[in-house]
Amino acid sequence: MEQAPPDPERQLQPAPLEPLGSPDAGLGAAVGKETEGAGEESSGVDTMTHNNFWLKKIEISVSEAEKRTGRNAMNMQETYTAYLIETRSIEHTDGQSVLTDSLWRRYSEFELLRSYLLVYYPHIVVPPLPEKRAEFVWHKLSADNMDPDFVERRRIGLENFLLRIASHPLLCRDKIFYLFLTQVFFFYLADSRLKALNATFRVKNPDKRFTDLKHYSDELQSVISHLLRVRARVADRLYGVYKVHGNYGRVFSEWSAIEKEMGDGLQSAGHHMDVYASSIDDILEDEEHYADQLKEYLFYAEALRAVCRKHELMQYDLEMAAQDLASKKQQCEELATGTVRTFSLKGMTTKLFGQETPEQREARIKVLEEQINEGEQQLKSKNLEGREFVKNAWADIERFKEQKNRDLKEALISYAVMQISMCKKVGFGFNEDICIFRSAYTFI
Amino acid sequence: MAGGPPKALPSTGPHSLRDMPHPLAGSSSEEAVGGDSTPSPDLLMARSFGDKDLILPNGGTPAGTSSPASSSSLLNRLQLDDDIDGETRDLFVIVDDPKKHVCTMETYITYRITTKSTRVEFDLPEYSVRRRYQDFDWLRSKLEESQPTHLIPPLPEKFVVKGVVDRFSEEFVETRRKALDKFLKRITDHPVLSFNEHFNIFLTAKDLNAYKKQGIALLTRMGESVKHVTGGYKLRTRPLEFAAIGDYLDTFALKLGTIDRIAQRIIKEEIEYLVELREYGPVYSTWSTLEGELAEPLEGVSACIGNCSTALEELTDDMTEDFLPVLREYILYSDSMKSVLKKRDQVQAEYEAKLEAVALRKEDRPKVPADVEKCQDRMECFNADLKADMERWQNNKRQDFRQLLMGMADKNIQYYEKCLMAWESIIPLLQEKQEAK
Repeated sequence: MEQAPPDPERQLQPAPLEPLGSPDAGLGAAVGKETEGAGEESSGVDTMTHNNFWLKKIEISVSEAEKRTGRNAMNMQETYTAYLIETRSIEHTDGQSVLTDSLWRRYSEFELLRSYLLVYYPHIVVPPLPEKRAEFVWHKLSADNMDPDFVERRRIGLENFLLRIASHPLLCRDKIFYLFLTQVFFFYLADSRLKALNATFRVKNPDKRFTDLKHYSDELQSVISHLLRVRARVADRLYGVYKVHGNYGRVFSEWSAIEKEMGDGLQSAGHHMDVYASSIDDILEDEEHYADQLKEYLFYAEALRAVCRKHELMQYDLEMAAQDLASKKQQCEELATGTVRTFSLKGMTTKLFGQETPEQREARIKVLEEQINEGEQQLKSKNLEGREFVKNAWADIERFKEQKNRDLKEALISYAVMQISMCKKVGFGFNEDICIFRSAYTFI
Repeated sequence: MAGGPPKALPSTGPHSLRDMPHPLAGSSSEEAVGGDSTPSPDLLMARSFGDKDLILPNGGTPAGTSSPASSSSLLNRLQLDDDIDGETRDLFVIVDDPKKHVCTMETYITYRITTKSTRVEFDLPEYSVRRRYQDFDWLRSKLEESQPTHLIPPLPEKFVVKGVVDRFSEEFVETRRKALDKFLKRITDHPVLSFNEHFNIFLTAKDLNAYKKQGIALLTRMGESVKHVTGGYKLRTRPLEFAAIGDYLDTFALKLGTIDRIAQRIIKEEIEYLVELREYGPVYSTWSTLEGELAEPLEGVSACIGNCSTALEELTDDMTEDFLPVLREYILYSDSMKSVLKKRDQVQAEYEAKLEAVALRKEDRPKVPADVEKCQDRMECFNADLKADMERWQNNKRQDFRQLLMGMADKNIQYYEKCLMAWESIIPLLQEKQEAK
């Protein structure tokens, strides 16, 4: 990305770390190693996410979660969960991994990292965090953030977040990301730009591609939310069906006690009903994993939308600058020719208090000409910046699209496989029933 | 229950008896005649989970069935009667062809009863008559009256809450027809009841109402004598074997009642689950309209969930139509059996009372008075009849429940098989690599 003229407010480019070897080779190799379906793995320790960080391979994992109590900013006691981030470097030759860094972080620190990335990589679709609060729950799951299942799924989600960053060709080289993994004290000032993202404004000439993309991200968010809500209800109902079957267990057992020939068959049927009823817990737990995969893309849609917003912001900025320049030019022209077409305070006071002297006018024209010059330079650089943004943003959006299609297909496949194995297991159980009935009966 | 609006009954024209297939002919007949099923031990079912192939005793495959065949329907077709060991059957009865009759006063359903018999008690070899529920009800009362020492099979419930259940829906009528058919078949199987005059009239009379009005009560000697047993005798202790039967029936009815309630609850939960599934599938369709490469996979998932929903609907319908009625029938059966047991107690009580009275008279006559002897006869016949009927009932019960429970397990397997097929079929679709657009 070409460097624009320095502007301390906007051009805060993160200083990439100097690679030990040739920078191009490192970048090329890193780009080549994209993680496949990083979201599916439950533990990043076993599945390697190779990242040519300074030409060394590293492994990142969020391996543990721990409940902590501490004092918050208002000096009040609070309970929170801390997560252990471990970084290992893998020696090329023997594949052994050595623990290089490990530290504990809480969810809010992950949020800080993400905010930073959002501001400093405006054209990148920044990977999302797992949900802050448990949403789309069905009745069995607790909506409590301290619930062990929720904490576990969040641990996996946080690990996934870090792995996605580590596998992104640009984000993986970020210094702050490195510090997040290695430095215990992580301090980052929120940028005012972040607030600007939420401001409302109107752009005169919107880029159709970004408008379309924004619509897509809105619709994607809406449809995935709907899907997750209904899925939770489906899970709830299915739970009810399985559990009621469990009631058969006892009554079949009691019935078998008064029967002679039928006793065995009834007893086994009762037992099978108990097994059937208890199998739902595992089934639904597996399905939660699928829900998490969908949730990730629900939040990714938000990130996509943010890129569009940033583009709008840039576009708006550009339009404002162009407008400003045009008005200054007009002012200059009027001063030079003596015609006053535009309203200005100076013009009014001139009318009221008399014309200004030619020297004064000359001075003003000179100032304006300087400003116009500067403005033209700025507009040129803004245009350039805008074009660069669009180019880079679309590159990342294309990358994101590929990733999304891959990941979601994987998710659907694993969902189908889950259903298949469930059908087989349950069907087999019923078949066993039939066999027992058949054999337990003696014929007269 | 879960489904569209009730379907209209088909109206068939007059049907010649010659066109009616013989009850035991081939697999094209809806119901095989005879008693309860005893499937051959060699009958195995093809399954995705089990590896056994469909085998019939004669080595062929049943015509008109497609795999995976339902075990219960197959069992229906291949019913072999085990009650009459090796004896040839000489009486076949079938209930079918329900028809709606709309009159000024009322609307009702009649069923066609077809009888084929070589028995001398029947003038013709074949009969076809139409009867309505109240005729069956009449028959049952008459049987109870005239054969009080025997267990009379139950009828499906008489009263139906209007507005809750549609008396003329195809599902309700079919359930009732099956129950009525079973009722007549049980009587047909019974060595004593099948020869009852009222039963004969029911099967053959052109105008049953005329006969009903005549009130000809051709009671057997036993029936008459038992009818005149005055109540008011109290039995001191029930003999052990009958007490055991009584206890068994109490527990049995209790357990069946519980199972009935659980089954109803399951159906309710399954229906609610179905409602959610019917909303879930289409959301994937909506999503597919937003996507490019993912459009086909998502649409595939949507269709898949739709197929599973349909399969579930079929399962709940089967439970309602096949499972619940049998449970209820056996609960009714237990109730009527308990009242027969009480009657038996009455007979025994009368005998014991009379015997005691004779003993108290302190007469030296060794000869027991005739009427006391008659009482003893009565009691012993009653006991014998009842014991025989109990054994027959136990056998039937075993067969029925075996078929029922296996049938339900089978229906469940079919449901999971359908779901399995649906999900397996979309895996290749999901794995398909699309050309870059």
